[in-house]
Amino acid sequence: MRQTASHFDYSTWITRLGIFFIGLFVFLIAVNFGAVDIQSADWLHLFSQQNGYEGASYVLWTIRIPRVLLAITVGAALGIAGALAQSLFRNPLADPGLLGVSAGASCSVAIGIVMLDGFRFIPTEELRVWAIPFFAFLGAIAVCFCLDYVARVVSPGSIAGLLLTGIALNAFAGAVIGLCTYLANDEQLRSFTFWTLGSLASARWLMVGVLIGALVIGWAWIRTLLQDLNALTLGENIANHLGVDVLRLRTKVIVLVATLSGLAVAWCGMIGFIGLMAPNLVRICLGSDQKRVIPYSAGVGAILLVIADTIARTIAIPAELPVSIFTALLGGPLFLILLRQYRSRLN
Amino acid sequence: MQLQIDHASLQLGNKLFGPFNFSIKAGERIAILGKSGAGKSTIVRLIAREHQLKSGSILINGTSMNQYSSAQLSRIRGVLPQNTQIAFGLMTDLVIELGRVTAPNKVNQETIVMQAAQMACAEHLLGRTFNTLSGGEQARVHLARVFAQLWDANDGLILVDEPVAALDPGLQYQLLSTIDRFAKERNHAVLAVLHDINHALDFERLLLVEQGRIIQDCPADHGALVDLERLYGIQLEHLRDSQGRSVLIQVHPSGIYP
Repeated sequence: MRQTASHFDYSTWITRLGIFFIGLFVFLIAVNFGAVDIQSADWLHLFSQQNGYEGASYVLWTIRIPRVLLAITVGAALGIAGALAQSLFRNPLADPGLLGVSAGASCSVAIGIVMLDGFRFIPTEELRVWAIPFFAFLGAIAVCFCLDYVARVVSPGSIAGLLLTGIALNAFAGAVIGLCTYLANDEQLRSFTFWTLGSLASARWLMVGVLIGALVIGWAWIRTLLQDLNALTLGENIANHLGVDVLRLRTKVIVLVATLSGLAVAWCGMIGFIGLMAPNLVRICLGSDQKRVIPYSAGVGAILLVIADTIARTIAIPAELPVSIFTALLGGPLFLILLRQYRSRLN
Repeated sequence: MQLQIDHASLQLGNKLFGPFNFSIKAGERIAILGKSGAGKSTIVRLIAREHQLKSGSILINGTSMNQYSSAQLSRIRGVLPQNTQIAFGLMTDLVIELGRVTAPNKVNQETIVMQAAQMACAEHLLGRTFNTLSGGEQARVHLARVFAQLWDANDGLILVDEPVAALDPGLQYQLLSTIDRFAKERNHAVLAVLHDINHALDFERLLLVEQGRIIQDCPADHGALVDLERLYGIQLEHLRDSQGRSVLIQVHPSGIYP
């Protein structure tokens, strides 16, 4: 037992370092690729220039680096949200996109933009930046509580019931969004469409800062819940027998999922598949212990989204394709290959 | 612990269970028998706080069970469930370790997991994925988890819900006698739902359940023969095995032993 424990730590460190270096490598590649060429001299400028950047180093500092960092943080947020949703519903198919959480957030923002006239009631521009994340969070949390109710009361333990609810909520949100689009005037329509296409192009340092803050606070909170989430894997009743306050745990996880996926949707639109793919990849490769699944899902989600975004913005320069195309193009086949190879470990 | 159940009843759908009235003394071992659907598991689930009471009360050491937090209860009460599904492929080590999830004292965790696994005859299953195990092996891992949970507790209560229904005869005895040994060492009471009459005779007391009510509360010996015959609608005969222990066997309806 002792011996296996020390061996265990060793391989954990290799995995951690591996993910870190892959991440760093992907970050550097991603930052260097783009419409404007970046030379190594431009990197040096970042550190030497005192008063403002110009040319390529300006691009690097105000566009490229925030964008890649936003991709990293949003990818991590989506990965964690997916892993949490899967452990909450005890179902490897649960994903904020599939279950309608992202659509709920989107729907709530549409209502905000159209019915509340582009948040014009908010006095200052600085405050208005927070309106979209706030509404996204409201929509996400409403859908989460609805799903939780279905999972506990309407069709307990049923995977089909949960997914069908997700489909129904997706359709309902889609219909409301359609209705809002129909009612919108030109200006509102433009601002809503602009937002839904979203992508990571509107990256700003502020968003990166907020997401890093949310991830750090979120992780500090999640850390204390990991073993309870493992207990939840055994079933709700057994978790209760083991002394876990399941009702409270569920509420905490719902708030976390809604916050993380709400923030991701708020600034980047709907990016599918990361939340589904990252935790399942981790589970296939490293097993199902939540103590590993949740943190590594963050790393894997970040790497996947940076790769997808880099491809999306460089494949047809100067045009830019929606990043969701590439998360799915990249993830789908990879997912199927791993699924085939490790199908026995899934259950 | 001292468990007191007073006029406890509950409603599931339009079926009424109870009112149940009985108590469990510290270290007592009680078996629940009855036909399927009679409400045996319901009694266990009621005490495991999986259902809300419609009326009446359940007192643990004189205090209402609802006053206890889940964590407090988990330190004095373990539940061995019927076979269950685990959502993801957890390792058996982790499943057993989860028995200690609310333990205030986390030292010696590894040793306790190891010893609990040994006691439940599950040590050879460590390092494997739970979902790849057979039903009997899964039951042993769950048993080790319950042992780990109540390892450093005394005067607790172990609730057992037909864990042995689908196991080989040899394994059933092994599992029940391990529970017995574990419980006696720590003066835990045991309340077990069972299918096999002769397993139940190894306990101290019998609760016979029919149509959601306890119809008989008697010592677990061959004196219960008439009540058991009526409960199951069968004919029984009392024999003694080579060691002089009572055995009840069913008389074939045609009058010939099967």
